[in-house]
Amino acid sequence: MVVSLRLPSLSSLFSPSISRRYPSVLRRRHHLRPPPSSASFSAQSTAPATDVVDSRKSNQKVQDGGVTPRSQDFNAWYLDVIANAELADYGPVRGTMVIRPYGYAIWEAIQDYLNVKFKETGHSNMYFPQLIPYSFIEKEASHVEGFSPELALVTIGGGKELEEKLVVRPTSETIVNHMFTQWIHSYRDLPLMVNQWANVTRWEMRTKPFVRTLEFLWQEGHTAHATPEEAEKEAIQMIDVYTKFAYEEAAIPVIAGRKSKVETFAGAVRTYTIEAMMGDRKALQAGTSHNLGQNFSRAFGTLFTDESGQRQHVWQTSWAVSTRFVGGIIMTHGDDTGLMLPPKIAPIQVVIVPIWKKEDDKAGVLNAASSVKDALHTAGIKVKLDDTDQRTPGWKFNFWEMKGVPLRIEIGPRDVSSQSVVVCRRDVPGKQGKVFGISMEPSILEAYIKDKLDEIQSSLLGQATSFRDGNIVDVSSYDELKVAISQGKWARGPWSASDKDELKVKEETGATIRCFPFDQPHGIKTCLMTSNPAEEVAIFAKSY
Amino acid sequence: MAELGLSYKKDENFGEWYRQVLLRADMIGYTDISGCYIIRHWAMKIWENMKAFFEAETDEMEIESCTYPLFVTRDSLEREKSHIEGFAPEVAWVTEAGKSELKVPVAIRPTSEAIMYPDFSKRIRSHLDLPYKQNQWVNVVRWESNPTPFIRSKEFLWQEGHTAFATKEEADHEVQEMLELYRKIYEEYLAVPVVKGQKTELEKFAGALYTTSVEAFIPNAGRGIQGATSHCLGQNFAKMFDVKFENEMQEKAMVWQNSWAYTTRTIGVMVMVHGDDRGLVMPPKVATLQAIVIPVIYRDVDTEAILEACRKTVVTLKKAGFRVKADLSRTSTPGQKYWHWEMKGVPLRIEIGQRDLDKNQVRFVRRDNSEKVDIPLNNNLVERVKDTLDRIQQNMFDVARERRDACIQVARTWEEFMEALNQKKMILAPWCDEMDVEEDVKKRTKGEGEMGAAKSLCTPFEQPELPEGTLCFASGKPARKWTYWGRTY
Repeated sequence: MVVSLRLPSLSSLFSPSISRRYPSVLRRRHHLRPPPSSASFSAQSTAPATDVVDSRKSNQKVQDGGVTPRSQDFNAWYLDVIANAELADYGPVRGTMVIRPYGYAIWEAIQDYLNVKFKETGHSNMYFPQLIPYSFIEKEASHVEGFSPELALVTIGGGKELEEKLVVRPTSETIVNHMFTQWIHSYRDLPLMVNQWANVTRWEMRTKPFVRTLEFLWQEGHTAHATPEEAEKEAIQMIDVYTKFAYEEAAIPVIAGRKSKVETFAGAVRTYTIEAMMGDRKALQAGTSHNLGQNFSRAFGTLFTDESGQRQHVWQTSWAVSTRFVGGIIMTHGDDTGLMLPPKIAPIQVVIVPIWKKEDDKAGVLNAASSVKDALHTAGIKVKLDDTDQRTPGWKFNFWEMKGVPLRIEIGPRDVSSQSVVVCRRDVPGKQGKVFGISMEPSILEAYIKDKLDEIQSSLLGQATSFRDGNIVDVSSYDELKVAISQGKWARGPWSASDKDELKVKEETGATIRCFPFDQPHGIKTCLMTSNPAEEVAIFAKSY
Repeated sequence: MAELGLSYKKDENFGEWYRQVLLRADMIGYTDISGCYIIRHWAMKIWENMKAFFEAETDEMEIESCTYPLFVTRDSLEREKSHIEGFAPEVAWVTEAGKSELKVPVAIRPTSEAIMYPDFSKRIRSHLDLPYKQNQWVNVVRWESNPTPFIRSKEFLWQEGHTAFATKEEADHEVQEMLELYRKIYEEYLAVPVVKGQKTELEKFAGALYTTSVEAFIPNAGRGIQGATSHCLGQNFAKMFDVKFENEMQEKAMVWQNSWAYTTRTIGVMVMVHGDDRGLVMPPKVATLQAIVIPVIYRDVDTEAILEACRKTVVTLKKAGFRVKADLSRTSTPGQKYWHWEMKGVPLRIEIGQRDLDKNQVRFVRRDNSEKVDIPLNNNLVERVKDTLDRIQQNMFDVARERRDACIQVARTWEEFMEALNQKKMILAPWCDEMDVEEDVKKRTKGEGEMGAAKSLCTPFEQPELPEGTLCFASGKPARKWTYWGRTY
């Protein structure tokens, strides 16, 4: 039993091609194959009645499509979830990723929310070209230094060698400034606030789906202002938008703060970040907002005439969230069974699984299931009815649990006669998460489901918050920091030491400063490294 | 705001007029790379408005959104032979990355068949997996040597749908369904008349079994333009990429595939068809802004009351779902504002001045025909706006169709054909449907004028009667169908 359970996952560790194919082969062809294990559920047509009953009462796990338990091997679990929950796959060019419909729908939920917020805060969408002359990248010195190891260059086009190499955009500050220079003349043209949804390319050596890929999707906002105060206000405003999104939609209790000088974006004056704690307690930088000062406007000569007729360089910001955020959602909320999606960004919020044993019951059950589906759909709930008869109910339970659907509704013949349904929560395993006898009456059911979805949303945030808080250790010396990091935790302590010291910590412990959080304790502090006075605490952690 | 009018006239110097409209209406930005353009907000929103319509339709058809990578290996790209032959001259290659030369260069997608189908081959196992329908909204790169903004650029945005079916009938059916959506985008959203038809063997997509398209015509340029395409790929790609499924009899079979796309070219066609000497004219259904409210303020009037009426009008109309704003800036005169928003092509201008306040009315001015009407304000402003926008939409289409129809010329002989071509017509001619004959037509028209060779646009699905004995205009052989011809973009 244990062996058969581990087999697919073990092989996935050694052979990525098998791990990618295995689940889809199993899923798609299950009806043509013998069941993988005698303990699992057999095909509907031959299923003894007891199997169906069992599946509702016990918490037994089916092997096929199962994932490596998260508690056992986080990384293998992550890759299994990506494959089995049909979120993404590898592209033919190493390090690239196909975002599959279920994963893409999560990205669309992120887009839908942010797009509204961006427009509310006065930004317009537009599109800049993907190809950038190499000379542009070279104009801002620290920018080129930061990005040149990761640039992809087009040298041949239309069958000919190009006169100037073209960079496949790694980010668009340079081309944006080139254009701003032409569009901005006077203070009346400011602030100029634009955003684009685009793909970017960074030639990464070590890749991981969603978290780090050669090509990824993101939004990048770019703004120009007349004063440094306005630019700073904008940079803060946008990190606030991201923070709010993380908490309220993705149920990720990120810590917002400022990056250290070492970790600041290549070409920025200040970088603000939201840092999320993943299930393996590594930090994930989930969004950044940069105050670029006048670095790019000086390099590109982006000038405006102020109200007194003086020519000045504009003050700028840029800010971005990428498909990496999808990886953050997966790694924050999952469990041993698979993915667990916060209702607000789940592509499917409720899955309905109809259950019948006798052919006589089928029509009644399916009828009821379909009217429940229609009622919820009309109420604006994202609902899916899984009425295929190629699969047993038990198989479906496991499949949709693994895909992280927040709520499951079960409807069997007895439920039909009592005009009620069974509702199961994804985040509360077993019997505790299961409530019998909820009325099918649309207004009652709709209110109940909406209420439960809200409850799950806040419960996921609550769990993630206590997990985060339980894994941040306050440290007052370098030794304490080393202990905390070696235990896999985040260390928070006063810091006013040099860049060199910061690099030393990285070398010796593998941890970097994630941020100086906005939320700072009061009182006098001494630097954990030098014992000099320190104004702020920093958070150290290993990161993705 | 640079207060400059158009220095070119649409009828006198069409090419320069087009470029100037795009710049003055803030639709495009130029970069240092010829053929790579910035799509500015004013145009981007039009794209987003079309996308909202199209996505609702594809959702209804259960087509799934996804994203495939930008890069494609040489090996994959070269798998389908006629496909790579069609695209090879236009591919951009990344040869250096991460400061070193790549052992094997990778291409930036010119289209995604070669990227998506290896994955289809993994995903599709049995008839239960079919139909398999995917769509993505992405950028693609094709190294065009003679670029025109929106119409032909090195990088452009598009949606590309890729679908697989168990039977040819299903694939054929979907080809038509998608083509109908494209017709709707052009005719019902962009108010541009198009002809639905099939491409000739010579003009079909590289690797397709057959290609259908919607074809528009630009009267000022005397050129046809392919609006969007819906291809039946048959089983060509399925064979090359091994996309097989087990059918209900448990036998292995090849899938039937389609691909279909429309691009940011739509925006260019809209500008060319509807624009005039005062600038852009946007059809209301896709317009970035549908109405602009302008206070008419001269001396000795109650400025604040007028501004307040403008604000209230905007709130009412926004609530009703219109894309509307008020231009309340104090630095420009009403006249300058009229001029500015006409340049930007806003379909409806709503003026509010003291006279209007006194009479409890507003004034509507239409961008398409300059008609001015005073609208009494008795609670039906929303309805009147809706009604006016509907009528603008319809009128723009009617006018465009009339102009297009005036360009259509039937030609039965080579002489008639050449005469029509020199008059910049869209020519409907009987022909024998042979590839060498079309190649010959291209060759024979190449030397004529500076406009380049003529080619077939499409064979319309709506065929006029073809009496027995009708001869091909070019070869004199028996004609088999009526086909549209002309110079093209």
